[in-house]
Amino acid sequence: MKADSRAFALVAVVIALATLPWWAGDLYKLHVAALICAYWVLIGGLNLVVGYSGQLSIGHVGLLAIGAYCFAILAGTHGVHPALAVAAAGGLCALCGFLLGLPSLRLPGFYFAMATLAFALIVSELTLAQGGLTGGGVGLSVPGFPRPFDTPQGSYWLILATAALVTWLTWNVARSTWGRGLVAVRDSVVTAQAVGVPVFRAKLTVFVFSGFTAGVAGALFAVLQSYITPDTFVFDLGLFFFVCIIIGGRGHIVGPAIGTVVLTALPEMVAPLAKLGNFFYGLLLLAVVLLVPEGIGRVFELLIERYRGRRGESHVVKPDLERLARAIEASGAK
Amino acid sequence: MLVALITGLATGALYAAAALTYNVMFSTSKVLSVTTGHISMLGGIFGAWFVSTLGWPIPLALLGSVAVGGAFGLVTDFVAIRRVLARSDEHLWLLSTLALATMVQQAAGLWWGTEPRPFPRLIPQDFSAGMGDQKYWLPILVAILLAVALELFYRRTLYGKLFVAMSEDAFAARARGIPTGRIRAMSYVIAGAMGGLAGFAAGQLTFAYFALGLTLTLNGFIALAVGGLGSNVGALVGGAALGILSAIATYFVGGEYQQTISVGLLMVVLLVRPAGLFGSQSVRPV
Repeated sequence: MKADSRAFALVAVVIALATLPWWAGDLYKLHVAALICAYWVLIGGLNLVVGYSGQLSIGHVGLLAIGAYCFAILAGTHGVHPALAVAAAGGLCALCGFLLGLPSLRLPGFYFAMATLAFALIVSELTLAQGGLTGGGVGLSVPGFPRPFDTPQGSYWLILATAALVTWLTWNVARSTWGRGLVAVRDSVVTAQAVGVPVFRAKLTVFVFSGFTAGVAGALFAVLQSYITPDTFVFDLGLFFFVCIIIGGRGHIVGPAIGTVVLTALPEMVAPLAKLGNFFYGLLLLAVVLLVPEGIGRVFELLIERYRGRRGESHVVKPDLERLARAIEASGAK
Repeated sequence: MLVALITGLATGALYAAAALTYNVMFSTSKVLSVTTGHISMLGGIFGAWFVSTLGWPIPLALLGSVAVGGAFGLVTDFVAIRRVLARSDEHLWLLSTLALATMVQQAAGLWWGTEPRPFPRLIPQDFSAGMGDQKYWLPILVAILLAVALELFYRRTLYGKLFVAMSEDAFAARARGIPTGRIRAMSYVIAGAMGGLAGFAAGQLTFAYFALGLTLTLNGFIALAVGGLGSNVGALVGGAALGILSAIATYFVGGEYQQTISVGLLMVVLLVRPAGLFGSQSVRPV
């Protein structure tokens, strides 16, 4: 029954998302929904890095910027077909993720976080410095998708499909041996090493994968923005991705997804929150870290447990006396 | 060229002061706080506010900045460190200090404005002094002063020795009856006061700017990692090296690649000597 209700919920969510253009009302809401999906393409990949393998990358906005600029330059300046340009953006960012991860994933927690922060700052510095390529502070205009994805609805469906694909991919990774290995790396590196998880390779692989999704997300994000400048990719955006995952809960997929939706939509709906911006994110992060480090999802789990009673609590251990007696007799007879 | 060098040295002194602040907090809690740079940012902003807006005399404003820094250090310990260290998850302090740093930066931006504002002159001096200008030698003087005072404090006073004992082995120190929680809170207040003082002294160089915190957190950390975690001499050398290197790079290549070069320095040092120039080799737990 439980599996049934889950499948039912999944189908309901998919139908609701796919039909969104008809009931969302105005185009702005549709734009926000598409933005959430584009963010999720990045956050879904980042979730494997932050949520599963526990590497605190706060600088993924750098990879997003590289993907966006790669798409804008290829598709806009050089007239490459957008589908190819998206693939190239993903590939380039996977390469950048590889080059960034190769030295920095060997570093312990805080060092790694600082390395990714530095990476994000370097990327924004370079986008300003390489004016001939990126347009410098003036920015670049980004071409849209070709038909049939050139309408708001069409691009929404395309981005939604990409987000669904990424979700499916990360879900596959998360429940495989790989995913378990990543969780082991997060919880105890020494133990993971002892039971034969290739620690560095596992971390590097998911980091490269997250680089790829970040590049694709960058391309989609650039199309949604339709004009990009270095100011589009402020460091705060990287922090926002990170906060979504931590608030949603590490080691889950649904939690960060809900976190992304809520944190993107809330400032759009409630104007005073938009003014507070980062202060609100910081406050939320602090509250989650201090009160429920496992993430908001844990609160719901606790509520459900209280409502239904804890599962698996009534284990009564009953000695099988007859079998014991037989065993003793058998050993005595020997 | 010489002006570029002395600017680099002054900026490097500020980085060194941030690295010293890191060191003090790290010694008692084994935490590298993201709020380190934000303490100095607060010191600079409040210093400018006290003098320019409220019209306080300079010595009082200096005291005020130091007090603000110390208070923020205490808040950091109270909010972001105390509860988190009680749990065993090693990543949580990074998240909690990052959250606090984000909040403080945004609050400062909302209150003070997002544009850098000028910092008042501290000592009457002609603007034509050139290289002898106070905005260069004040940060350098303060960084050296802080390092010397810290060494004296560690070696000559009882509380300093408690700090050293806690940095060696907090558990053993606790078993010997040292109130580790109170000592840690004290170290955060001291670190905050140091950061506030450094931010106040370097105010004329950096201006009172709300986004200074994050840059200083990163560059102070680079200075610390280059010099060696836990070493005060290393912090001074690392800060000076970083400042001079990025000044030379700015002079020859242009200001666009400053960050790239400082991170390059960090990577090279970490590859060649993972413990930093003056750090002790850490033992990997197996």
